[in-house]
Amino acid sequence: MAMTAVARETVFALRRQIAKIEGTLPERLQAPAGATLDAGAGTGRGSDLTIVRRGLAAALPDAFLPIGVERLDAALGGGLPKAALTEIHGLETRDAGAVAGFALSLVSLILNRARGLPILWIGTSEIFHEAGFPYARGLHAAFGIEPGQLLFSEAPRLVDALWVAEEAARMTALAAVILEIRGNPQRLDLTATRRLHARAQGAGRPVLLLRQAAGPEPTAAPVRLNVSSAPAVPRATVAGPLAGSIGHPAFTISIGKSRTAVPGQFTLEWNPDERRFDERRGGERNGGDRERAENPVAVVSLSRDRKDPAAAAGEILAFPAVASSAAISPAARDQPPPGQRAAHLGPRRAG
Amino acid sequence: MISHRQGNAQRISALDERAEALHLKRDMGIADARAMHPSIDIVEADPEADRRLLEGLADWCDRYTPLVALDGIDGLFLDVTGCTHLFGGERAMLDEIQSRFFQQGFDVRAGLAATPGAAWAAARFCGDRIVGSGEEEALLATLPLAALRIAPETRASLESVGLRTAGAVMAAPRAPLARRFGATLLLRLDQALGRLDEAVSPRLPVAPLSVERHLAEPVTLTEEIERLVGMLATTLKTDLERRGEGARTLALLLFRVDGAVSRIALGTSRPMREPLLIRKLFHERLAALEQHIDAGYGFDLVRLSVLAVAAFDMQQADLTGEAADDGADIALFADRIRARLGEGAVLRPVPVESHLPERAVAIVPFTEAPRRTTPPRKPDRMQAPKTIFPPERPIRLFRAPEPIDVPATEMPEGPPLHFRWRRALYRVMRAEGPERIAAEWWRQAPGDPAASTRDYFRIEDADGRRYWLYRQGLYGGASQIPPRWFMHGVFA
Repeated sequence: MAMTAVARETVFALRRQIAKIEGTLPERLQAPAGATLDAGAGTGRGSDLTIVRRGLAAALPDAFLPIGVERLDAALGGGLPKAALTEIHGLETRDAGAVAGFALSLVSLILNRARGLPILWIGTSEIFHEAGFPYARGLHAAFGIEPGQLLFSEAPRLVDALWVAEEAARMTALAAVILEIRGNPQRLDLTATRRLHARAQGAGRPVLLLRQAAGPEPTAAPVRLNVSSAPAVPRATVAGPLAGSIGHPAFTISIGKSRTAVPGQFTLEWNPDERRFDERRGGERNGGDRERAENPVAVVSLSRDRKDPAAAAGEILAFPAVASSAAISPAARDQPPPGQRAAHLGPRRAG
Repeated sequence: MISHRQGNAQRISALDERAEALHLKRDMGIADARAMHPSIDIVEADPEADRRLLEGLADWCDRYTPLVALDGIDGLFLDVTGCTHLFGGERAMLDEIQSRFFQQGFDVRAGLAATPGAAWAAARFCGDRIVGSGEEEALLATLPLAALRIAPETRASLESVGLRTAGAVMAAPRAPLARRFGATLLLRLDQALGRLDEAVSPRLPVAPLSVERHLAEPVTLTEEIERLVGMLATTLKTDLERRGEGARTLALLLFRVDGAVSRIALGTSRPMREPLLIRKLFHERLAALEQHIDAGYGFDLVRLSVLAVAAFDMQQADLTGEAADDGADIALFADRIRARLGEGAVLRPVPVESHLPERAVAIVPFTEAPRRTTPPRKPDRMQAPKTIFPPERPIRLFRAPEPIDVPATEMPEGPPLHFRWRRALYRVMRAEGPERIAAEWWRQAPGDPAASTRDYFRIEDADGRRYWLYRQGLYGGASQIPPRWFMHGVFA
């Protein structure tokens, strides 16, 4: 008996809700090594990774934030979960720049979709003193986050910071919440992270937990990334890479924990102009050439604001090819006949 | 007995009944008093504590009228105009005030009159007397000169010419009095008689709106206080609606049974009148203040005042019944955080026109200006940089630049080769710069070391971390101070 459309929709909604309650949205596993790919299940990309979906296949299409780097997205099983707590670790406090930079580039990717919503950055007084306070001008230049979109909350104690984070995580009016904590405090245990994670799931907004100088701990976050800085490539100029210069920010990311449990280390480069990540493969140091190969545009920009822009090269408009003048070679056409040389081009006489 | 130092001698400033019975008087020297009665107890005066006590009493008197003013060091003025009927008339109110003070252990003298001067005289020289309008002259006629609130010198000179009572002064011709004793005497006289108005300036600003509830049974639990706040806010809402306004600053006054008054104030980001939201905010504030509020035997009067109001814009909801206004959510969120953690708990950056990196962004507490009063302005966008290569700015900036130790630079004006920061040595692999940023000469004194020019370098160390360093001062400049290096920020 055919189900009515309304009934089917109800069933789908219920399934989705069950999946949300159980938290088994995207369980993906790597196929055992040596497994042959099915012809019918062709992944299209020809990778040796096949993706098996387990549990209730009710993942929303926009449950993940694709980072934009194929290998990393595949290893994370589609990207970073959007409605979840994500841990971003830095080994030492002096890595705070890289950790914050990576988190903010993720925020920038989020803001590409959720335009105009503010973000909240919560930190303890200790971490803001040790690692520096976020600087709105730099954030605008590197990640395109407007100062009007930024909110900071500085809490004197960790308990207060956690309370603010819990209150903020349940708000849908924020695009993302960043909570920055230093070290491995007792308070930030499994229970505290579970509370944060549950609120983030409820609101459907990401909570990024930046942990400076912290070791891995059991927490409720489904994804943990370890971030450190990587040497930047030189700046790309028209004349090739500029020696000794410092180009786009680069990060080394290793996956500490994820649903797919695929380990991996990646070197990503943040492109502040286009606001996207590029992956840097081993030994590749020259960012400019690769970029040009990917974006084949004219080095010299086209002229704008004119009524009749220059036509594309390779099309002759003024002198359409005439069959009768076939005898004139292109070289001869350019040169005027000997008798018609301009006077000023003639040999000069002295006196 | 309380002594105080006046001139070069310790004198009696206040004394109790038993001391009076020993024929001791105010302003008597302590040495004399000791000689008469060696066994008396003498305590040094503490004017500061007296003042605090008087202010506490003034706070408590807020329950009778919002217009409470301090009078010198030992008196309070209460402007009860329009308040007496709430307590059952003038006599009942005066009796209640006196009995309440007596129960708290104070010996007060109260007087009630149509003018502050007459009330002052009635309280100090008659005690427990209500002077009707028009009876001031009859009251003052018999009283001594001190009842006129005049300086002791004037009083002494009036007495020297034989004017010993206020009545005698009133009967004397005015012009010679003014010429001889100054205008103050007649001013005080006219004020006491009601010929001139005298304003009582209240100690605290008077709230435009306030609602209160007297409780037969004192409350102690925080939950009950919150429920009361909700009820009071509901009453307040109708008044605010009538005025077309919302509250920007709210104060909750809790009057404890034994006289202590707790005042809890909080501000809101945008005008508010919804009782539920007001109750939520006070919930956070009370939770934060739990340790600081001592309920004692309970509070018997709870008052909710609106200290500042602003125009309230009505917003129309769409057909689904939800007003799609994320700003309201954020404003409420910020209010709750600030109610619990203080004003500076939620901050937002504001771009400022300045070349100095630390001044280019001001961090201000989050508030949302009322929409109607501010003129439309351009959105808070950063201007696109005018140069082709915009100067790189770090993503984190240290609040105070941290001094670093630079042993050597390749060139005198160039970037360092190594530097030591927070006791760790860093090797510089690559450097960009310098970017020279001069100090703002219109702000800083020329001799100030912070006013010297800075050369900023963008540095990458061996591990790929990127920093922003600067050298303060120039080599070989006019000043002989060697340049110093600072760490100012980190890049991504």
